[in-house]
Amino acid sequence: MILPIGPIHPGLKEPLRLKLETEGEKVVKAEIDYGYVHRGIEKIMEGKTWQKGIFLAERVCGICSYEHTQTFAETIEKISDVDVPLRAHFLRVLTNELDRIQSHLLANSTFFKTLDHETLFMQSLDLREPIMDSIELLTGNRVNMGWNVVGGVKMDADDSHFKPILKNLDIVEERLQRYTELFAEGPLIALRSKNVGKMTKEEAIRGRAVGPIGRASGIKHDLRNDHHVYKDYFDFNVIWRKEGDNYARTMNRLDEIPECISLIRQAIENMPKGEVRIKADIKSGYAEWRNEAPRGEVAYMAETNGNLIKHISIRTPSIMNIDSCAKYMLKDVPTVTDAIATYASADPCIACAERVSIVDEKGNSTVKNFYEVV
Amino acid sequence: MLDAIKDVVRKSSIHVCIVNCGGCNGCDVELVALLSPRYDLEQYGIYVHNNPREADVLLLTGAVTEQWIENLRRIYTKAPEPKIVVAVGNCPQSGDVFNQEGGKVHAPASDFIPVDAEIPGCPPRPSEILEAILTVAPGAIASKGRNQK
Repeated sequence: MILPIGPIHPGLKEPLRLKLETEGEKVVKAEIDYGYVHRGIEKIMEGKTWQKGIFLAERVCGICSYEHTQTFAETIEKISDVDVPLRAHFLRVLTNELDRIQSHLLANSTFFKTLDHETLFMQSLDLREPIMDSIELLTGNRVNMGWNVVGGVKMDADDSHFKPILKNLDIVEERLQRYTELFAEGPLIALRSKNVGKMTKEEAIRGRAVGPIGRASGIKHDLRNDHHVYKDYFDFNVIWRKEGDNYARTMNRLDEIPECISLIRQAIENMPKGEVRIKADIKSGYAEWRNEAPRGEVAYMAETNGNLIKHISIRTPSIMNIDSCAKYMLKDVPTVTDAIATYASADPCIACAERVSIVDEKGNSTVKNFYEVV
Repeated sequence: MLDAIKDVVRKSSIHVCIVNCGGCNGCDVELVALLSPRYDLEQYGIYVHNNPREADVLLLTGAVTEQWIENLRRIYTKAPEPKIVVAVGNCPQSGDVFNQEGGKVHAPASDFIPVDAEIPGCPPRPSEILEAILTVAPGAIASKGRNQK
């Protein structure tokens, strides 16, 4: 029997249709229907100036909105060879890691909710609030921060910002350790999440899974390792696991949070002095930039003509993760309830995913402009 | 008699369904933050059920995309009377940044279904959303219930 779930369903947070093919309770196959939140951001950006483009990039996705503005800014900076001040880079790292912590906590709390573990759900959401306070203190907003500009960041920060942030981090670190233990050693949680929704390394590579979802299946790949600022000034471990089940994915995200906290402390400790923003002189050209968003790799391919954006294409991690979730994780799940939990463990973010690109399977070339083809 | 009791009960028990009809997710994140112990939606008698068939309040987020035009009307008819619709964020009111040349959105949402209250902001703060629901919902549900007879 085919069981449709969504687009509006108590188990889902965002509109998407999940079609589960079931034999009794057992799920044998899953299919996913997209297209409910396609807004055409890339098309809107065409012909706009880069000053306007950054606001649109921020609204690609609300949860990881920060990383999109950073990647957009860095793409334009690469086109026009803008040398961003080091202090701005450090402030970007600081905000980026704060954003990653809140995103991971939110993703985990959604997973706990689908497991019906109300205690951990409430506690991870409560733990997220000090981080949201820190973000608001630093940037002035909770979700869409408007913090990045091409050529640096908008405002400077000083000790009056850093001290409360460090204080909040101490609270988060202490409580997080307790919750991680609660999750790692809970016998009922283990029954519901270990060996459920398994994805092997080969399958993850075939499904092009990225971010914590790929890392939980054994792909040791973190784009922060390749970023020039992280590579030169910061020291962190790439967290990865071998199991590839729901437990591993959630644990991977929980284990990444202490790394983020240590990165923030390094950033505040070694914060260089100087300017935070320089005047950018924008040139024409084409550039590509990739960054590690909370969910995986975000890529921006942009072509500018003077101040105007001629063409832009955005590649977000969610689409690959949701796809590999449907193809590999959901193919052998014992019950329908576990299928919802497996779906939540893949950290789906539909607002990111609604983008169109056509891949030529034989020629391996991506069609540049979708609207020309249609 | 029964309606009078229902009116009293409805004031302190509000079921909410979140309908994301094509936004950036930011408002949805703030709605999830409302569930956290700091804001604690449930102590005001509000329960996020996410099932339109049992909802008293539909929380609309997002500019209305092509796919949602028909589905929005269908979801609205599925919700039982009395119902109120609260538009959260700029998107259902004006389309925000998406309502430009090239965008595939059909804002405002009030073109398709009647909207009772609007909360501007991109996204609005959780406390603002909570205040709006509490100001509008209990009275509106009770009075709509009476007008139905």
